[in-house]
Amino acid sequence: MVRFKRARDNGVRVRLGEDEAGLLRRLVAEMRTMLEAHMAGDPVMQRLFPDAHVSSAEAADFRALTEDDLSAAKRSALEAVAQSLGTEGRLEITLQEPDVDAWLSVLTDLRLAIGARLEVTEELMSADVDPEDERAPALVTLHWLGWLQEMLLKAAG
Amino acid sequence: MASPTEAPERTEETRIGDRLDKAWLVIVWNDPVNLMSYVTWVFKKLFGYSEAKATKLMLDVHHRGRAVVSSGAREKAEMDCYRLHAYGLWATISKSD
Repeated sequence: MVRFKRARDNGVRVRLGEDEAGLLRRLVAEMRTMLEAHMAGDPVMQRLFPDAHVSSAEAADFRALTEDDLSAAKRSALEAVAQSLGTEGRLEITLQEPDVDAWLSVLTDLRLAIGARLEVTEELMSADVDPEDERAPALVTLHWLGWLQEMLLKAAG
Repeated sequence: MASPTEAPERTEETRIGDRLDKAWLVIVWNDPVNLMSYVTWVFKKLFGYSEAKATKLMLDVHHRGRAVVSSGAREKAEMDCYRLHAYGLWATISKSD
């Protein structure tokens, strides 16, 4: 089934089954909780809010100036996606450009969060998922989100 | 980077010259998660680069571990870095040698 398709009005038509839409809703809700808690030192937060300078003093200055704005931008994209996902059932909607951008950046943040949590490497990302691996469910989710993002990029292209 | 064609006074010219010498570089680092197609899309979106230029930069990041994606005055470099972070890319800025 094609999840994303270019619409006639240049928007992107989204069709997700109930299970897939439900998983996205859950991941978006988890990300919202993480952003609100913003636990410093959490590897996920360190990846979503990386140091902008190699020097730690300059990185701290930059962080002090920008972190609130960056967090607000990430939460605003998340709210846009949450809004379009609705609360239940399958999904059949058309996204216009600002929402396509929000979807792409939220899919990215979700993937980065899982990747940081699992400490993934290039080798792990390019290998087949081992069903015996305790990280398998999260890795499958990570690849599924990537597959969605790839399709969305193609449709939006 | 644009440079002033004429400076009203020598002192002013020197001051602007000093500032231009201190260009800041925006560097994007390779990470194992972001998709190659997405990184290319971000470069096109944020910097208005052509498909060819964005793809080349993405491949530089992928194969060499990092690439300079833009440069300029400190404020511009910081804004570019911020916007890259907003799209989930791992970027830093540093002063050009």
